[in-house]
This record gives sequence, C-alpha cells and structure tokens, in this order.
Amino acid sequence: MTFELVNHKVLRAAVAPGAEIVARRGAMLAYHGDVRFTPATIGGGFGAGRPGMGGLTGMAGRAMAGESSPLMAATGSGEVFYGHLGAQVTIVEMDGSGELSVEADRLLAFPATMQTAVVFLGTQGGVRGAIRGAVTGQGLFTTAVSGVGQVAVLSHGGTLALTVGGGRVLTVDPQAYVGHVGALTVTATVNAGWREAVGRGSGEAVQLKISGDGTVYVQASEQKL
Amino acid sequence: MASFRPNGKRILEVHLEGETVRARSGAMIAYSGAVTFRKSGVGAGEGLRGALKRKLTGESLDLMDMAGQGLVYLASDARDVELIDLAAETLQVESSALLALGPDLSTAVTFTGLRGASSGQGLFTTTITGHGQVAVLSDGPAIALEVSAAYPLVVDPDAYICSRGQLQQSFVTDVSWKTFVGDGNGEAYSLRFTGSGVVYIQPAER
Repeated sequence: MTFELVNHKVLRAAVAPGAEIVARRGAMLAYHGDVRFTPATIGGGFGAGRPGMGGLTGMAGRAMAGESSPLMAATGSGEVFYGHLGAQVTIVEMDGSGELSVEADRLLAFPATMQTAVVFLGTQGGVRGAIRGAVTGQGLFTTAVSGVGQVAVLSHGGTLALTVGGGRVLTVDPQAYVGHVGALTVTATVNAGWREAVGRGSGEAVQLKISGDGTVYVQASEQKL
Repeated sequence: MASFRPNGKRILEVHLEGETVRARSGAMIAYSGAVTFRKSGVGAGEGLRGALKRKLTGESLDLMDMAGQGLVYLASDARDVELIDLAAETLQVESSALLALGPDLSTAVTFTGLRGASSGQGLFTTTITGHGQVAVLSDGPAIALEVSAAYPLVVDPDAYICSRGQLQQSFVTDVSWKTFVGDGNGEAYSLRFTGSGVVYIQPAER
C-alpha cells in the first residue's frame, strides 16, 4: 500500500526510489527519512525524459486552461504525511481501466507512475461540455488522472460514492461535485425560469446530469476548496 | 411514505414516494429519479400571517419544496446531520440549523424571550409541530441533554441547536462591571431550561 489514511484528514504515503509521489504543492505536513521535494505540474510529471510527460503541448494546454494547481514531487525514501486546510481525504483506487476526472485543486497526492492531463471539457460533451464549465464556474478544463494506483482526493466533509449505471441518471449539484471515474457523460442543465429571475429560486437552478456507467463522488458541502 | 435515512454522518437520504418534503434551500447535493425543486411559497405553509410574521421578526426560513419520486441527497457545509422523530410534539429549532422536515409537520414563528437580543440570534425561533422526522444540522456531533424538574440545564446560546418537550427558557446574565471594562469571562449570557424535555447542543460556538 502506497497510501494510508492516518485519520480522515491526514494521508501517509510511502516514498521509495521508483515509487515517487506527486502531491499538491505545500501539502506536506511532516516526513521522515531522506525525502526531497521538487516542483512539478499537471500533465508534466517531474524530471526530464520521463515517460508520460505532456511536453510543450502539455505546458501550452495548462497555460491556456488556468487549470494549474502547482504540484511537487517527493523523491528519495521515507514516509510523508500530507494534508490540506483540514479538508477530508478520500483514496480512490484505480485499476487502469478508466480515468478519474477531478478538479486540479482537489488533487492531494498520486503516485508519479500515474499520468495526468488537462482535459478540455468541450471534448467530453462538445459545446455543451464547455457551457457546463462556464455556467457552473468550474472552468472549461478539468484534470484527468489515469493509470494503476491510488489517488488521494480532497473534499469538504468527506465524499459519497454514487454508482451510475443501468440507464439511471444521477443529478448532482455542481458545487458538491468532486469527480468521477468511468465512462460517464456530464452535461449541465439550467433549470432557471421566472422564479430564479425574480430571486425566488429554490437554489438548485444549475444541475449536472450524469449518465453512463461509473462512479461519481460528491461531497457533503457546497464549498469549494 | 417519505423517509429520511442518514448516509454517513453528514449526508441525509430522502426517499420520496410522491409526497412533498421541505428542505433548506440549496442543500441538495445529488438526486436520482423524477424530483422537482422549487422555493416554498409565501409563508411556506404558514399562511399570509406567518409570512408577515417572518418578515417582521427577521426569523427567516429559506426552504424549498422537493416533490416527486426518487432519492435526494442533502447536506450543508459539511455539518453533521441529526435525525429527530416527533410524535405530536413541538420542536424549537434555530432556522439556521434546520435541514429538512417531513410532509406532515408544520412550522411557525414563536417569541422566545429576550435571550436573542444580545446573543445575536434574534428574539424569535422556529417551532415545528406534528408527526414525522426532522433533520437538523450540527457543527460537529450533536449532544442531547436531558432536562427534568430536578435538573434544570444552562447552555451557551451559541452552541444551542434545538429543544423538544415541555420546556421553559429563560435568559441568564452574568454581566458585571468587569464585562464592560473588557475583563469578562466570555460566558456573560446563557440560556436556562426548566421543565422536562431534551436540549440539543453542538460542540462548536457560532
């Protein structure tokens, strides 16, 4: 096991040569052993000539996307404790069959052997995907993590894993949406009528409709990180 | 029959079978099935007089009606959810702590005495009466404290969430010249409950 939860909010990660950990920059709480931290970015990995690097296109993508939570890589050998602002940590197990879509600022840590990329929402749901990002305030880009391993994700109040499948459609509040794994289509629906216009809405005007097969993670709060 | 079920400490599952359940506006985090959300109408079942009362008293209660068939997940600010079953009883609750209430319950505004004026919670509180389940929010796990004739209870107004049963509230002050020169003990105002019932408090002060 690379990752282990010390409690709901603190993650313990084992670092060894060949098993480096990439984490949100500044999220290290403590470590022991011979560990060094070097800057890294999404879609880039760290160090030169590593496989899975985004290269120049990755860099350009990030710059355009604004989806650029700074990361750091822990190398060496030892044990690192990670945590961020008292947010709860969820470990998502990935078997390599699908990819995890998550907001960059919700990524706490993942093994350096996994790949990250900035994904334009327009390629997922066409123009509607792009509109979804614009309307929900999530931005037009999201981060995709793929490969085999464990990903530590941050949430306010813990996550609830909801399974979508069998033609069932799940609707999620954009502010409570954390991420998803699997072959899912996410579209935003704006349910605003005259009630919203006159300030008498139910507070649930914009919703994300999720269909397909996979798992959706939602948090017990409407707060962003 | 609509039922409430906790999913973990902080998420409430509301199973809807055709009825209308009222919940805190914007507290839906996810749902499946055919459910519609709309703001509870004027007075939210309290009538025009109730609406006027809320306007005047400032004890605002922002609720939405959830109707249809399906499963709705509710949560708010990662606060813990506490389920309370009411059987023809009255529950007094701070409107900021109310998450959802069953279809057969009604709400009203009542005067609580002078406690609110200095604790910043207002002079009025929301009362819920009838049969059914009420979900309240607590910043941290809620603590239920029993009050009986022999054991009156004093709580901090900032930690108070709700109370049920035959209870009388009074306001206790421990204000002396020290409070005004900035040498107070930080517990100048308290709420005193007498009678018999249960008082719920949260392990955090607003």
